[in-house]
Amino acid sequence: MDMDQVKQTFIIEARELLASMEEALLTLEDQTDPSESINAIFRAVHTIKGSAGLFGLDPIVRFAHSVESVMDRVRSGRLPLGPELIGLFLECHDHLVAKLATVLENAPEHPDCQKEGERLMTSLIPWLGASIATIPSVHPEVSPRREGGKDYWHISVRFPPSMFQNGMDPLSFVRYLRTLGQMVSLHSLLERVPTGDAFDPELCYLGLEMDLETDVDRKTLEGVFEFIQDDSRIRIIPPHSKVEEYLSLIQALPEEEHHLGEILVAGGCITPHDLEMALQTQRTEDSQRMIGTIFVEDQSVPSPVVVAALEKQKRFQDKAVNEMRVVKVAAEKLDNLVNLVGELVIAGASAQALANQAKEPRLVEATATFNKLVEEIRDNALSLRMVQIGETFSRFRRIVRDVSRDLGKEIELEIQGAETELDKTIVEKIADPLMHIVRNSMDHGIEPTEVRLARGKPVTGSLSLNAYHESGSIVIEVADDGGGLDRSRILAKAMEKGLVAAGADLSDAEVHAMIFEPGFSTAESVSNLSGRGVGMDVVRRNIDALRGTVEIESYEGSGTTIRIRLPLTLAIIDGFRVEVEGTCYVIPLDTVIECLDLGPFLESEENHLINLRGEVLPFLRLREIFALSGTKPSKERVVVIQYGEVRAGIVVDKLLGEFQTVIKPLGELFRNLKGLGGSTILGTGEVALILDVPQLVNLASQRTRTRTPILS
Amino acid sequence: MAKTILIIDDSVSLRQVVGITLASAGYDVAEACDGQDALAKLNGQKVHLMICDVNMPHMDGIAFLKAIRAHPAYKFTPVIMLTTEAGEDKKKEGQAAGAKAWVVKPFKPEQLLVAVSKLILP
Repeated sequence: MDMDQVKQTFIIEARELLASMEEALLTLEDQTDPSESINAIFRAVHTIKGSAGLFGLDPIVRFAHSVESVMDRVRSGRLPLGPELIGLFLECHDHLVAKLATVLENAPEHPDCQKEGERLMTSLIPWLGASIATIPSVHPEVSPRREGGKDYWHISVRFPPSMFQNGMDPLSFVRYLRTLGQMVSLHSLLERVPTGDAFDPELCYLGLEMDLETDVDRKTLEGVFEFIQDDSRIRIIPPHSKVEEYLSLIQALPEEEHHLGEILVAGGCITPHDLEMALQTQRTEDSQRMIGTIFVEDQSVPSPVVVAALEKQKRFQDKAVNEMRVVKVAAEKLDNLVNLVGELVIAGASAQALANQAKEPRLVEATATFNKLVEEIRDNALSLRMVQIGETFSRFRRIVRDVSRDLGKEIELEIQGAETELDKTIVEKIADPLMHIVRNSMDHGIEPTEVRLARGKPVTGSLSLNAYHESGSIVIEVADDGGGLDRSRILAKAMEKGLVAAGADLSDAEVHAMIFEPGFSTAESVSNLSGRGVGMDVVRRNIDALRGTVEIESYEGSGTTIRIRLPLTLAIIDGFRVEVEGTCYVIPLDTVIECLDLGPFLESEENHLINLRGEVLPFLRLREIFALSGTKPSKERVVVIQYGEVRAGIVVDKLLGEFQTVIKPLGELFRNLKGLGGSTILGTGEVALILDVPQLVNLASQRTRTRTPILS
Repeated sequence: MAKTILIIDDSVSLRQVVGITLASAGYDVAEACDGQDALAKLNGQKVHLMICDVNMPHMDGIAFLKAIRAHPAYKFTPVIMLTTEAGEDKKKEGQAAGAKAWVVKPFKPEQLLVAVSKLILP
């Protein structure tokens, strides 16, 4: 691990922190108790400052310090966090992002960027109140206190509340420390002392900050607090003169493989207990700071010592594989891997088929084991590409904030299901369509304030993004509480464009679907956001390309929900093989609910209905809809499938069982075929067609009306 | 006036060694052979620190600890518990009952003296 790589990790870490900072800033206003968000913001800035110091990134340290100082006042309740300040913090966030970018390029900071930084720092000053910060050089608080040219151990203790009840007296520790050296200064901290009824005289609220001049080592000092170290916060900061000593000790260590913590312990900079505590902090924290960062930030080890230890570590680790939290891999490599796994699945299936033919039990068993492993590899390979949708959603907070401001509307964004995972390629491709939909909802969906008031709605419009898994698909919903789609206006527009004949009787869903037609826009005015009629048709095309569907649920006057349904993955699925007239078809297993014999469940042959324990479902005969010749077997089977909330039965000749299916797209010629979603290669080398469940379910439920199944 | 330490242990030799060490460091030392004996001898009198073995006949260290923590005069008195390394469970129980200072047997007299000095100086 060289320093550049560590820097990469820092940048990744810092970006994550900044993203969470932005999210926290944007959600602050909606929260009744914002303290958690405020802490998150503070932590983000604080951590970035600490880590940046390690790399000597002075401009970032200085800037982050200013932000942190103001944030600290907010955190302690001395400064209210109003919209103005939130705006300023957002600008600071953007500036930190810009600063990080220059770090990544290894370029010196651009003069404009510098200017922006100075401007922001100047705007921060008024918020600092009386304690106008002396803007520090690098790691100000890390450097030991120096008084009168000498330097001392600094000991900071926060005693546990249960102290007295355990027979401990804070004073006794001070007295004992004085036997070890000269107490240069001692400040007691009383902020934790509650007032009024909350004060319990049997509890200890005391904290002490002490400077001690002594020759004893760290271990001895820590030993003083042996009996209370489990539940107090104790920080022991070495004097400056010790740093040199540590550095030479670290240099002198034998050249072996060590963890950073071990090097620091061996160098006498920390004790094993410190290490244990820091590791515990690391384990319990969400932010996953690196151990060196923890030491530096908690000020238990001066940063030059940590850097020296890192360098020491680096010397043995050049060849060693080290534990990295995140490995960045080019997306192309992952795609290659997934493709290869796809081939492996096919090859495995072919081996299995041959083994089954050979009827050699040991061979069958061996290939079965092999295929089970292939299946695991497949799942693992695919999961590498799975990412949470939350990050994509979070981006919308900023957009909603900015756009609503531009539009002069008050709009609140609610996010649900941020942890829902889906394939990275899908996430990337869905971001733009989502953006269109969200902008549309804000622009056309949510009414201007006057209209909302007149309709008796709350002034603040609400927009919600939601994601969840449902029978093998992921569903993304964009819902607003705006005016809903105007059926008559859409119809009028459609007639004007010649999309429907005058007087046609259309269902609401059919009318709503019109908005996805190319060049369709009913907005009275074209704003600079939307309303140009390019957009919704592009949205549908993008979603179609992902094998997804989009549907609209809209109620005039009360809002619109746009529901995008996407496959979980584009590459490999678990399939269920069925046979009709000697040809094999594959149904995505996620959509299969159960399999039955048709006979006992048949409700009405004429209306194509089955009775599934009281529930009447439509069914389709594959041989009928694909117009296959031949006679149907005496015993037919039904596969019950579900898409969205709709169920239907697919009648086939034979059930062949589960099968790992590598999806191969249909050729250009067959793209417009309905009822088929793709093809795959069977173990025998034959090609099988994958059924398009959404279309089949749709067809089956429509047929109750039209009676004649037509596919294209 | 020198500060008083009460040693509670069923081993006479241990009491003696500890007693001599502490006395030469400048503390006043009192002795008891188990929890019951200690309670009888204490009888509301002020002591500055108690050193108490865990494993004793009649009334063991944990029971004794619970008893004195319930007594207004000794609620806040520092207590050092003596234990063997095997007594981890006891240690947890004792910590919950209000004794945070533990010294593991066998120990050198100086070690105990250091532990005592952290809590009270003579």
